[in-house]
Amino acid sequence: MAGLTRTAGAFAVTPHKISVCILLQLYAPSAQMSLPFPFSSISQHNRLGLYLLSLTKSCDDIFEPKLENLINQLREVGEDMDAWLTDHLTNRFSSLTSPDDLLNFFNDMRGILGSLDSVAAQDDQIILDPNSNLGMFVRRCILAFNLLSFEGVCHLFTSIEVYCREAHSSSAQYDASNDNLGSLIQHDQMDMEKYIMDKATEEIELQKNASGRVPFHLHTPEALFKVTEGLLVTRKEKSRTNTKKAEATQLACASSSTVNDTLVDESLFLRTNYQIQGFLMEQADAIETHGSSLSSSSIESFLQKLQNLAPELHRVHFLRYLNKLHSDDYFAALENLLRYFDYSAGTEGFDLVLPSTGCSMYGRYEIALLCLGMMHFRFGHPNLALEVLTEAVRVSQQHSNDTCLAYTLAAMSNLLSEMGIASTTSVLGSSYSPVTSTASLLSVQQRVYILLKESLRRADTLKLRRLVASNHLAMAKFELMHVQRPLLSFGPKASVRHKTCPVSVCKEIRLGAHLLSDFSAESSTMTIDGSLSSVWLKDLQKPWGQPVFSQESGSRKSSTFFQFCDHLVSIPGSVSQIIGASYLLRATSWELYGSAPMARMNTLVYATLFGDSSSSSDAELAYLKLIQHLALYKGYKDAFAALKIAEEKFLTVSKSKILLLKLQLLHEHALHRGNLKLAQRMCNELGGLASTTMGVDMELKVEASLREARTLLAAKQYSQAANVAHSLFCTCHKFNLQIEKASVLLLLAEIHKKSGNAVLGLPYALASISFCQSFNLDLLKASATLTLAELWLGLGSNHAKRALDLLHGAFPMILGHGGLELRARAYIFEANCYLSDPSFSVSTDSDTVLDSLRQASDELQALEYHELAAEAFYLMAMVYDKLGRLEEREEAATLFKKHITALENPQDEEPNMA
Amino acid sequence: MVSKESCRNEIRAAIRQLSDRCLYSAAKWAGEQLVGIEQDSSNFTPSNTRFQRGSSSIRRRFSTNESISTPQPSVGFSQPPATPLPQEDEVIDGDLYLLAKSYFDCREYRRASHVLRDQMSKKSVFLRCYALYLAGEKRKEEEMVGLEGPLGKSDAINRELVSLERELSALKRTGAIDSFGLYLYGVVLKEKGNESLARASLVESVNSYPWNWSAWSELQSLCTSIEILNSLNLNNHWMKEFFLGSAYQELRMHSESLAKYEYLQGIFSFSNYIQAQTAKAQYSLREFDQVEIMFEDLLRNDPYRVEDMDLYSNVLYAKEACAALSYLAHKVFLTDKYRPESCCIVGNYYSLKGQHEKAVMYFRRALKLNKKYLSAWTLMGHEYVEMKNTSAAIDAYRRAVDVNPCDYRAWYGLGQAYEMMGMPFYALHYFRKSIFFLPNDSRLWIAMAKCYQSEQLHMLEEAIKCYKRAVNCGDTEGIALNQLAKLHQKLGRNEEAAFYFEKDLERMDAEGLEGPNMFEALVFLATHLKTNKKFDEAEVYCTRLLDYSGPEKEKAKSLLRGIRMAQTGFPSMDMEHFPL
Repeated sequence: MAGLTRTAGAFAVTPHKISVCILLQLYAPSAQMSLPFPFSSISQHNRLGLYLLSLTKSCDDIFEPKLENLINQLREVGEDMDAWLTDHLTNRFSSLTSPDDLLNFFNDMRGILGSLDSVAAQDDQIILDPNSNLGMFVRRCILAFNLLSFEGVCHLFTSIEVYCREAHSSSAQYDASNDNLGSLIQHDQMDMEKYIMDKATEEIELQKNASGRVPFHLHTPEALFKVTEGLLVTRKEKSRTNTKKAEATQLACASSSTVNDTLVDESLFLRTNYQIQGFLMEQADAIETHGSSLSSSSIESFLQKLQNLAPELHRVHFLRYLNKLHSDDYFAALENLLRYFDYSAGTEGFDLVLPSTGCSMYGRYEIALLCLGMMHFRFGHPNLALEVLTEAVRVSQQHSNDTCLAYTLAAMSNLLSEMGIASTTSVLGSSYSPVTSTASLLSVQQRVYILLKESLRRADTLKLRRLVASNHLAMAKFELMHVQRPLLSFGPKASVRHKTCPVSVCKEIRLGAHLLSDFSAESSTMTIDGSLSSVWLKDLQKPWGQPVFSQESGSRKSSTFFQFCDHLVSIPGSVSQIIGASYLLRATSWELYGSAPMARMNTLVYATLFGDSSSSSDAELAYLKLIQHLALYKGYKDAFAALKIAEEKFLTVSKSKILLLKLQLLHEHALHRGNLKLAQRMCNELGGLASTTMGVDMELKVEASLREARTLLAAKQYSQAANVAHSLFCTCHKFNLQIEKASVLLLLAEIHKKSGNAVLGLPYALASISFCQSFNLDLLKASATLTLAELWLGLGSNHAKRALDLLHGAFPMILGHGGLELRARAYIFEANCYLSDPSFSVSTDSDTVLDSLRQASDELQALEYHELAAEAFYLMAMVYDKLGRLEEREEAATLFKKHITALENPQDEEPNMA
Repeated sequence: MVSKESCRNEIRAAIRQLSDRCLYSAAKWAGEQLVGIEQDSSNFTPSNTRFQRGSSSIRRRFSTNESISTPQPSVGFSQPPATPLPQEDEVIDGDLYLLAKSYFDCREYRRASHVLRDQMSKKSVFLRCYALYLAGEKRKEEEMVGLEGPLGKSDAINRELVSLERELSALKRTGAIDSFGLYLYGVVLKEKGNESLARASLVESVNSYPWNWSAWSELQSLCTSIEILNSLNLNNHWMKEFFLGSAYQELRMHSESLAKYEYLQGIFSFSNYIQAQTAKAQYSLREFDQVEIMFEDLLRNDPYRVEDMDLYSNVLYAKEACAALSYLAHKVFLTDKYRPESCCIVGNYYSLKGQHEKAVMYFRRALKLNKKYLSAWTLMGHEYVEMKNTSAAIDAYRRAVDVNPCDYRAWYGLGQAYEMMGMPFYALHYFRKSIFFLPNDSRLWIAMAKCYQSEQLHMLEEAIKCYKRAVNCGDTEGIALNQLAKLHQKLGRNEEAAFYFEKDLERMDAEGLEGPNMFEALVFLATHLKTNKKFDEAEVYCTRLLDYSGPEKEKAKSLLRGIRMAQTGFPSMDMEHFPL
């Protein structure tokens, strides 16, 4: 039944189109005059022409303006003759009193078309070329009208009555207020304009999202990208400070309300399949972009209406699935996903984009499996997801759907790399695909690598540019995190380098970003007329709406500028999403490699350029990164202020990472201020956020136990801390979290150092350094080197020289990229080294020491790190004492005392954030 | 127990009133029940006896309690002492009312309502509104055919609903509404999607005038769960029993519903309606033989009946009675060709003959006549499965499920279709759904087990669990035991395997079956027991095998030889060691 009733691209006559026809009649009357009656100048005439052109181009839009809106627009276009235009329009409508008048009207319309051989026309004659845009529009209208049955004509007639009646009633109100209060008019008008502008920008956004069409099965890649991106950028956070939040909610309610309006009263008009599909795609994008910040019930209600109107439109079920997915309703999501594919066999919507490919008679159930797998993934059922994806691989191979196979492999590699899967056996069950079956002998990472390679190869041959790009990004991530080893481990091993390769990471990221140039080269084939059509209308309105623009805040302007550019070059949302993700990945990799400025810069680039088009979870990540950066380099005050802003914006997002960040910051802060109870509480809350399922939320779990160990360390419970760290190391090893291993080793070294067991600490520090070397974690390595130096010094003052050398080796890195804490630690340690070096004399070289200490104390005060600050002031006081500068000594001593008391009574100033 | 005489009087008056208000189907239903009441022997008329003779034969054969005419002592609830008789209408209708009624009878609804535009009596108001409602419905149907949009969109709505709702709610507020008006108000509210209000209105209607079966059936369609049903505040009346019977049936509480009908049969001994409903319930309990006899009887009494005959055709289909099915199809086609039931019966016939394209055509026609005809969707799905057009089958099944989410057959069909396409994991979800609605059917459990067992999934432990459930549900085909044994054998659990083989053997012995399964069981048991050194028992199985010819016999012989060797060999070896 599904395919029977589909007539794509049908064109139906609606009252709005009749309005346009009436205006066209005015614009090009059949009488042969150079300038028709009401127009006073040619430019005025041209202006109406342009306006009509934009109207006809946007006639495939799902929103047809009401008569009232049309009249308002005419007021702006028509200038001094607006009254005449609207009068004519309404009179013409009121003269349509019976269905017969409609028939005559369309007969007249035929008259305004020039004949096809109108070469002989005189110059000053206005003739509508039948092959021009306007002419085509008229012809289509006439044709559609002629195809109508009498029943249909009667319907059109009644809907015209409704159309006019609505406009009449509202204009009557308008007139009434006109009579009553002069000031109110202005107010009204402003409101009206503002309303139009709001609607305009909102539609621009929708358009922009909508242009993110994908030449595969339309929604799958979207969903996939969503997943991929969520994964690509897992260890970063930061901030953006504009009014995006307010904008988003406004958008949400505005769009849903307009949707409701239109769907209710447009129920009279027949919409074409094409229009509705386009509209649904826009909505799907909106759901994915805004996540759960869109109210799920409002979407639900319009979907319900749509379903009542078009029971054969199965895409509605898919939208409902997306909506439920984002509001975390597992059962409803599952139910709707299955229903969608049961009804349409996954073919609906597909024919819109690639009609030539044709679908096999078996339907496209492999896509159903792919979607189902990703759904399970999202809801945190990795094993279920893996089973389903394995089946998807098998079915795609069976139906030789290579496109789907490529996507499935990418999804699978994502799943494997993201979910901690400990054992390499029995996960894939009995798999039939050559890809997965060879893989079952290999380790998880090798499997991920193979899957990625396979997916990339297929995507490349199939020219799935978006998939290629996101695969490159996934590959970059893989390269970032894993040491490349040859898959076959026999033969001479000389060439094996146990090191990650930053160059190839960079290469992959760049390859990923190539999408942009690929895309602009072929943009003409990838855009679809319908999605951009109404942009024309908005463009045309822009100059006239200028005063409204200036009311907007400055920050807003910049984003509209980008939007403007965006639809000029018409980059689809999904493309800019991937490019954005590449910037986030860049930021992450710089973060790991230890370049703070580069990381910050890339995040800022992302936030400024891609923040508007990105999905909310990506934007959230960018915020997180920036806030973390603030905390590390500017201290907590700024970070908490920024966090407040981010919290307002993202709290509605499901599985918000903001909460996680908040806990992290509070924990850190509490540790520094010595409030161990609070720190322990935060730590426990952090652990509580993770799912209890094995292998899910690994990152969160690692983070929680790392922090637990640090809290224990701060509480001087060394053996317990060491226990926690040991078991954490085992977990990391089991789940192949190499980078985390480096920091756990460093923590172990730290624990031994604090417990005064420097000899035991040395091997851990060295191991950590070697891990850092093989993963190119420069900043972490510097910090490990610092710890190593501290351990040496701990072995006795005769090692001071060696420690100092080590420290000086790491200094450039620490001072250039290290956070406040690390730098302060380095300074203090340097002073310590000098002081304990027997060959160093304080009296002659006091400035070297004092400078470092002063630096350290400044930075520590910003951090409120009482323990270290006290140490710095203590050393300072000692040095001053040696130098005999008593006054300064007293000052340092009081500061020392202040910090010590603050450390001992941490409760008296609870951070208000908690 | 209500007396038959009072029932009869009530119904007689009610029929007059209902048909006076043009509520014809309710009047028809009441009429059927009226003649269904057993006559007192004192006033037999020849026509009555002739009518009743036919029906009583079945009753003698099947009814368990012979005391039909004696009142039953306790039925679980108390009847009000006397049901008030429906009040007679004022005898003289206005002239305009008479005219309007004749217009209505000629299906000129708008004209009828126009004639009554200024009449204020409750009866006139009802007829005017009812005519208006029907006019709107008729218009809606016509538009639906004329204006079907590209996406199956039917923006045709009954345009009278809004004004009707406004008027009726105003009337209700002022109290100037009778029970018929309340019924119409309920229908309008239901159409507008306001279910709870509609339910309240209908309950009020049936409480004040219980004889309107249309109101009851509207109410029943609004009771989608047992909770809703129990929350209704209904007065006791014998009509309520009819209502409960059909409501229970719809909620798949077949034995409760059967109990209700059995009770009602005490009064309405010859009601065709009750007989058909009983047959329906029995059909759901899979008592096909009994159902067939009941339907035969029904057709003898009421040869031009089309209602419920699709069910009869299903029974004939299940029993593969081609000739009877073709006879039935022919008969209903002569009676009324354009009824969804008739089309469905013909579809069944063609399906049985293996002409699936034609069957699909007829099911399609049935669906054109009634888009929400559940069984046609499911049956069409079956046909598509036969034709290997899985995506069409899935579509059809899914529509059935969306019409009624409790239809386990369609869920099962969905699972089957996906399994056919090599997506067993995906299919499992659907099997689970179907089992949820019918947890006691071994066939469903076996289907699910097969899915787990498929080579793609190979989840044998789960399959074993499913087969166990199937055995517990009384697996009639004997697949489950055999499979359980084999699976255990495959997993190397010989003790369990032996246990199930033995059980399977017992079953086959009890049913007197033979076949490869039996050989397999015997061979396994014999070898298993032999390896466990239980030679005597092993010998028993071996000797059973010897009764058959073929390779099994040879196998048995060699086994026996081995047993002898093992039994006697060991001591004989000893003998050799000690030569005498």
